Amino acid sequence: MLGPRILGRNGIELRPPTLEDQPLQLQWLAQPESTRFWSPRSGNWTEENAKERYERFAKSEDSVNWAIAFEGETVGFTGIFDIDWVRRDGESGLFIGRHDLYGRGIASEAVRLRTDFAWRALRLHRVHNWIALQNRGSRRANEKAGYRRIGLFERYGYRSGQWMDDWMGEIFPEQVFTRDRS
Amino acid sequence: MLGGIVRGKLARLRTPAEADLPLVNAWMADLRVRRGGHLWAEPAAVETWKERLKEAAKAERTVLWTIEADGRGVGFVQVEMGHEPPPGAYIKYFVLDPAVWRRGLGWDAALALHRYFFDYLDMHHMGVALPADNAAALRIAEKLGFRTFGHGHDVYYRDGAYVDQLEMRFDRETWDERWATEREYAPFPDGIAS
Repeated sequence: MLGPRILGRNGIELRPPTLEDQPLQLQWLAQPESTRFWSPRSGNWTEENAKERYERFAKSEDSVNWAIAFEGETVGFTGIFDIDWVRRDGESGLFIGRHDLYGRGIASEAVRLRTDFAWRALRLHRVHNWIALQNRGSRRANEKAGYRRIGLFERYGYRSGQWMDDWMGEIFPEQVFTRDRS
Repeated sequence: MLGGIVRGKLARLRTPAEADLPLVNAWMADLRVRRGGHLWAEPAAVETWKERLKEAAKAERTVLWTIEADGRGVGFVQVEMGHEPPPGAYIKYFVLDPAVWRRGLGWDAALALHRYFFDYLDMHHMGVALPADNAAALRIAEKLGFRTFGHGHDVYYRDGAYVDQLEMRFDRETWDERWATEREYAPFPDGIAS
């Protein structure tokens, strides 16, 4: 399904992605600057396939998908995927395609809004994710929202002469609400 | 599949577009290109090329790029991923517009392509088959680090005679020895993991 519009701080919002947003993702996935942690920088990048993918996301019953907008412009995507509605657990993901906007706090605000929605609207019990340890921006955004490290998958990939590790994290509503009260 | 941006110094690989197809068709009809080795396909109507491009985008084991220099398409390359581990890939076609030959673009695009495969995708080996009389391609291949491991006889026929084909491979160890400074990305700063 597509997520609802959620207004955040500093001109950042989550909003339902549109068909017109899809070519942006194709452009971003072709850029070296935004694919250091997103191999293989190739794919079935046709408009036809982008449309099919969009329709699949929109029809999906086990995921919630958003576009991330900054000052009215789509700059990335996020969502909660593979939701198990019995265990009430899902896996989150986020991609900021506009690498010229890295470091502006957009991911942090998007994760905050997404996580808040997971508790207050979806009533999930837990959300987990995997992030490249070296992807400090994305990892910090999730840590700021309250994600805690639960493991490290060492040496999952080797790129440009260096190993990369996968950071595994999880978050529960109690953590966030307790922290908000304190 | 279609490939994303891979930057060289003079040329770059980028995602192919339908606007490139009339150029591709012209190259496929050029006898100088046809002597060079394997072709994507025979010349055809633009609508046929559009179908071919869609098929290439859907193909799960191949990646197709347009080679671009000075803002225009000057060639294309398609690489097939190996089926068995350790991971390797095989260059199916590497075509450069004859109008830009002898400007170093072929070398520059080939080095960038192999940096993508060895440094970004962490490939174990690359392979290519070249006509034995394609001196320019052989020069580039050998400078990169390809070595001949097989020799096919009478593989191509043209101008009333057969031409042999050299089967070549380029191993990871050779890449590391010769091109260790070629990187897709700058190293992570110290302390990035904290």
